[in-house]
Amino acid sequence: MAEITPQVSTGQESIPFWRDGRVLGVLAQIAFLAAVIIATGWILNNVLQNMDKLGAFRCADGSSSFVCGFNFLRIDAQFDIGETTIISYDPSDAFSRAILVGALNTIRVAVFGIILATILGTLAGIARLSSNWLISNIAKWYVDLMRNTPLLLQLFFLYFGVILLLPPIREAVQPFGLPIYMSQRGIDLPWPVFMSSARLWIGFVVLAIFLTWILWVVLGRREIQLGKSTNRTGWAFLTFLLVAVVGWFVATATSGNNQVVLAANTVSAADLAGLESVMQQRLGVNDLASVSQAVSDGTLTQEAVDTAAFTVCTLRDDRSEVNLTAQLRKLNMPYSVKAFNRENLVSEAFAAGDCDLYIANKETLAAAQTAVSGATLIPIGETPVRFSIPSLQGLNFTGGYKLTPNFAAILVGLVLYTGAFIAEIVRAGIQSVAKGQSEAARALGLSEGQRLRLVVLPQALRVIIPPLTSQYLNLVKNSSLAIAVGFPDLWTTSFITLNQSGQSVQVFIIVMASYLSFSLLISFLLNWYNQRISLVER
Amino acid sequence: MTQAKTEEPKSFGHNEEIIVCRNVRKWYGDFEALKAVSLTVKQGEVVVILGPSGSGKSTFIRCINRLEEHQEGDIVVDGIPLTHDVRNIAEIRREVGMVFQQFNLFPHLTVLENITLAPIHVRKWAREKAEERAMHWLGRVGIPEQANKYPGQLSGGQQQRVAIARTLTMEPNILLFDEPTSALDPEMIKEVLDVMRDLAQTGYTILAVTHEMGFARTVADRIIFMDAGQIVEENTPENFFTNPENERTRLFLNQILHH
Repeated sequence: MAEITPQVSTGQESIPFWRDGRVLGVLAQIAFLAAVIIATGWILNNVLQNMDKLGAFRCADGSSSFVCGFNFLRIDAQFDIGETTIISYDPSDAFSRAILVGALNTIRVAVFGIILATILGTLAGIARLSSNWLISNIAKWYVDLMRNTPLLLQLFFLYFGVILLLPPIREAVQPFGLPIYMSQRGIDLPWPVFMSSARLWIGFVVLAIFLTWILWVVLGRREIQLGKSTNRTGWAFLTFLLVAVVGWFVATATSGNNQVVLAANTVSAADLAGLESVMQQRLGVNDLASVSQAVSDGTLTQEAVDTAAFTVCTLRDDRSEVNLTAQLRKLNMPYSVKAFNRENLVSEAFAAGDCDLYIANKETLAAAQTAVSGATLIPIGETPVRFSIPSLQGLNFTGGYKLTPNFAAILVGLVLYTGAFIAEIVRAGIQSVAKGQSEAARALGLSEGQRLRLVVLPQALRVIIPPLTSQYLNLVKNSSLAIAVGFPDLWTTSFITLNQSGQSVQVFIIVMASYLSFSLLISFLLNWYNQRISLVER
Repeated sequence: MTQAKTEEPKSFGHNEEIIVCRNVRKWYGDFEALKAVSLTVKQGEVVVILGPSGSGKSTFIRCINRLEEHQEGDIVVDGIPLTHDVRNIAEIRREVGMVFQQFNLFPHLTVLENITLAPIHVRKWAREKAEERAMHWLGRVGIPEQANKYPGQLSGGQQQRVAIARTLTMEPNILLFDEPTSALDPEMIKEVLDVMRDLAQTGYTILAVTHEMGFARTVADRIIFMDAGQIVEENTPENFFTNPENERTRLFLNQILHH
């Protein structure tokens, strides 16, 4: 018969340290840390030694230093980059600028990609939950197709199988008759251009937002006093619209003679109406709106119209040109644009009589007027925003916003692919909110909109944000596949730099550090947001 | 006494018919969940619905505020017919409060925000008024000190009392209880039943689905027994427990009372 006496532990002396869980825990951590330090140290040392042997980190004075390894960045890049974002680039610029241009292109893809993928993903996610059989099944097929095929394959298919198979530029596809042109050369979209009077209009819009906010608060107080709801959304919207529209007309009216165009002596007109009658004389018609009809009837030839068309000379990407051509289009006046890269070339062309109309700022035109006899300044109005419409000039579109085939391929590819994953995340988020939450909201009398806004979405968002962060990071990292469709992103320009300079380790350090900082920035922002909306549990 | 007026229901009389259901029928696919259920509840009456699980009792009270849609028959609540007219549905939901088995508090809002959400957004009360009424009802259910905590930080019994306070702050005339104590630990059931007993005595019209026989016996004016989507027996508590009319009722009572 054994005697059972409960052992009451009084402290450390009863446990030897090799069995003490706390000591073992600390020892394990120290051992792991040591292993990591030794492994990375060995790799780094190896790399640095090899680099030193190759002379990669050698300075001009023969000594070795990490910083000197990056001196190659100042050498001329000597290669061309197809497209740039924000800053310009020339092959005579340094490698560092080439990499920077690539990084900015990556940021452009990432920003547009994240915005569009979020919109597409949210719509597709909600569509999958729809009770409409067709809608939910289309969404399901989209998600399954995109998730189950490799992204690289999709990009190649988009680029070689879709975009490059579009018709040549002269036969560009116009979907639904909209001024959107899709061709082998990419996609040309209309794009809003802000005129100088836009500043006044934006002022009005800010004022409108402010007034709407005040009205919203005042009407809210009144609702509380009356104890019933009034249609304050409607009133607020109406106020905003009214002030913004009044601002538009005020800005248009006060812009007055902000913009002028210089007309050659071949075009003697005092204003836009004068230009109209000049064109009517040239074409021999009373109504310019009938011209396109006459051309299709055969009473007027296209050549005649092309010859009669006003030749507008301008500096490339001049805002005033957008303003003028928008008005010429409105009055059905045919025109063609000659865009030059330098201001003096435009004035020379005008002086040589190659242009009917010369568009530039007031001062330049005043100077040009004195140089050419018979030239008259015509004031043309402006509205705060004019749409720049792509138009075919020679072998390319001018005006509007151009998505190159490469950019379109990588952007559309990433948006379609990431959107499918986001759709699943959104669907899971909405479904994760218990049914009882909606029932309680309905039982309390909340409207359907209030139920979604105040009860369901705040809870769904908390489930959505963490996996959504991963998808944003995936999109940014996957953008390095741009090299497959020839879009000059960070990795593409860095890769060329690597090949040209041979400085592989330095280039990899730069590229990895760049992607790492993009990713950390996105994680930081979304984690911060996620923390703000996280649940308090017991 | 003027203060009391805002918190108590309008009338104490047992004459006005406040809920009228006539031949209410509902199907889930081929399964007929409600088979021509008719019931009239008068103002201030406390009606307890008993029955085995799957008998349609929850489905029935959930039809009254349109959490479930009935397919045939009429439901009229306080003179408002329950149709597809969303305005009628909204009006009825303002009139009828509901307490759920799973509490269904909003986990992202504090207790006070949970309670004031609907008064501010549906009743359009000023925040101060909503908070004042919320604190009043939190005091009435005995947990005013929990106002700034989140639901996840409270016990089950406390959560259910918050849910009751949330319902009462909307000042409904009719209260629907859908098995309010079924998800609670035994020692917390009493605190919730005490609150319900208090409300029954205050004069609310109450329609409660519950398995608490003690509550049914002492508080109810009338007991409804449902089985297989039908009302099998309607009786006073006294008769129901001592001298049930229907064979199925007797079987049910045998099973739950003598185990």
